[in-house]
Amino acid sequence: MTEHATFENVQPRGLSAHVGETASRVDGQVVEAHGVTTETVVFDNVSKFYGEVLGVNRVSLTLAPGIVGLVGPNGAGKTTLMNLMTGLLRPTRGEIRVLGIPTTDPVALCRQIGYCSQWDAFPRGMSGYKFVRGYLRVHGYAEPEAEALAHQAIARVGLTDAAHRRIGGYSKGMRQRIKLAQAIAHDPRVLVLDEPLNGLDPMARAEVIEIFQSLASTGRHVIISSHILHEVDMIADQVVLLTAGYVIAEGEVGGVRSEMAERPIQVLVRTSDAPKLASKLFEHDHVTEVSLHDDRLGLEARTRDAESFYLALNRFVVELGLEIETVTVADADVRAVYQYLIGSEGEGP
Amino acid sequence: MTTTTYDSSSTSAPKSSLNGGRIATRQLLGILRLEVGKNLFSPRAIAVYVLALVPVLLTLVFAIFSDVDDLAPGPVEMIGAFGALFPLYVRVSIFLGTLFLFMNLFRAEVLERTLHYYFLAPVRREVLVLGKYLSALIAASAVFAFGTAAIFLFMIAPYGFSALGEYIFGGPGLRNLMGYIGVAILGCAGYGSIFLLIGQFFRNPVIPAIALWGWELVNFVLPPMLKKISVVHYLQSLYPVPVTEGPLAVIANPTPWWISLPGLILLTIVVIGIATWRAGRMEIHYGDD
Repeated sequence: MTEHATFENVQPRGLSAHVGETASRVDGQVVEAHGVTTETVVFDNVSKFYGEVLGVNRVSLTLAPGIVGLVGPNGAGKTTLMNLMTGLLRPTRGEIRVLGIPTTDPVALCRQIGYCSQWDAFPRGMSGYKFVRGYLRVHGYAEPEAEALAHQAIARVGLTDAAHRRIGGYSKGMRQRIKLAQAIAHDPRVLVLDEPLNGLDPMARAEVIEIFQSLASTGRHVIISSHILHEVDMIADQVVLLTAGYVIAEGEVGGVRSEMAERPIQVLVRTSDAPKLASKLFEHDHVTEVSLHDDRLGLEARTRDAESFYLALNRFVVELGLEIETVTVADADVRAVYQYLIGSEGEGP
Repeated sequence: MTTTTYDSSSTSAPKSSLNGGRIATRQLLGILRLEVGKNLFSPRAIAVYVLALVPVLLTLVFAIFSDVDDLAPGPVEMIGAFGALFPLYVRVSIFLGTLFLFMNLFRAEVLERTLHYYFLAPVRREVLVLGKYLSALIAASAVFAFGTAAIFLFMIAPYGFSALGEYIFGGPGLRNLMGYIGVAILGCAGYGSIFLLIGQFFRNPVIPAIALWGWELVNFVLPPMLKKISVVHYLQSLYPVPVTEGPLAVIANPTPWWISLPGLILLTIVVIGIATWRAGRMEIHYGDD
């Protein structure tokens, strides 16, 4: 039986948590979104211990297609989670299914997964092209097919001109991109990328992000880890926040923020008459603080009730005849969310 | 950056019309292609070349500077001397050469953080282990077969081309040469499988490797029963020219070739089987998250 469901925004851990977008579901699996058949990546009460050292603990997640950011400081468990998802590690407890395939079936799993590790490591002496083509041959592609796919993937990451140069002579950014080419060459439906933007210059970063977005727009999973929070904030449709091996929140960045009801939200407004607006806003109990900008053309207000704040703001704009230049939630980025949840900035040591 | 349209209709798997066997064969060839080059031309191959070729160079020097009047009467007798030296080549050059090659098949990739490229390919672990093993075997066999043949030929070179030609093609030379090359390849296969396994089981494989080396070196003084728990004992029984192990040696009946040959092959298969089982259970965790 098929039901149509709109998944909720994100929740801090402890509440029911499904992330994703409008999709049809059959027996709990997403089967249609963005017009292509998709499924989910499911962690079911997964724990991983390295001897007595905790990797991740009691992780239950359901990830729908799109860009998902795994965020946390170094040692939070991001790479462990990714390695579990790709079958490189086996969970101590629990089960992981990627598009319905258990990670205990690596042959079926690896046809659907592309992984770009955080390690800047390559087989020695290879050119970028030989690197990509070589592992496509290991996938089982015939030579002409492997060559075509390698050329296509290398072109996709913009390294055609350098394809036949040795990877050892590449810049850091080029090495990141050739790893990405290797990961996408077999057209996986789930792309797992560990710190993929490290070492990229702003131009390359924008272009690589565009690749992620284009892959995600075709219904693929693009799962990205980063400890640079604003990076994920900009890219990800969803975030999973980790610390010390635990998932502490998951979902849309804005959604997580709005769930922090007990914490005031900070809204920045640039307007033609900020003092007048400030005095009006103070009439509301949910507004806890308003500070004016030096130029008196803007203010920052803290409110415990974002919805009421916006309704009031709309009313005042009409009543006072104000011109509004911008209204921005000043702290709805991952860093702010992280501060609320774990009391640190999440940058790690 | 080039802007291209990504063809998302491209297949995410090799053509499904292919059966598993054909895909596995392609994968095996793919692994061989990557690995043989790595084993022959990477820095780790330097040690293998040194071990294989230093004895060749020494024999070449011998061939150039020796006076035939001071040597054994003819090539047949000279091969007796070769037969006495060849066990040293097996126990030192082939043993240590295969140690460097096979022990690093998985271990070096873990240290270099590149093993995940293989583990993330949809290739069965038995195909991966077999591919890596065969690639190292091809490389080791090529180097040590060449080394064996070169030493063999340089030993009898002082007698001149006509004597050499007559011995090789008119006498037992070719059979002996092929026999020694076969033993060298079998040595690579047997030791190689053991080192592949040691490299998988031990984080620091030097100690077990030294222990095994010691066991193989002192094999000639071991009691007959213990002699049989070694690779060198079975290789020795396949030498074309029987070897005397010196005055300290404990004499044991040689194992017939029809036991030694299949025995070594069986040992190799069993050890590769264990290595495959081990590879199937391997996880990759290069360092802290």
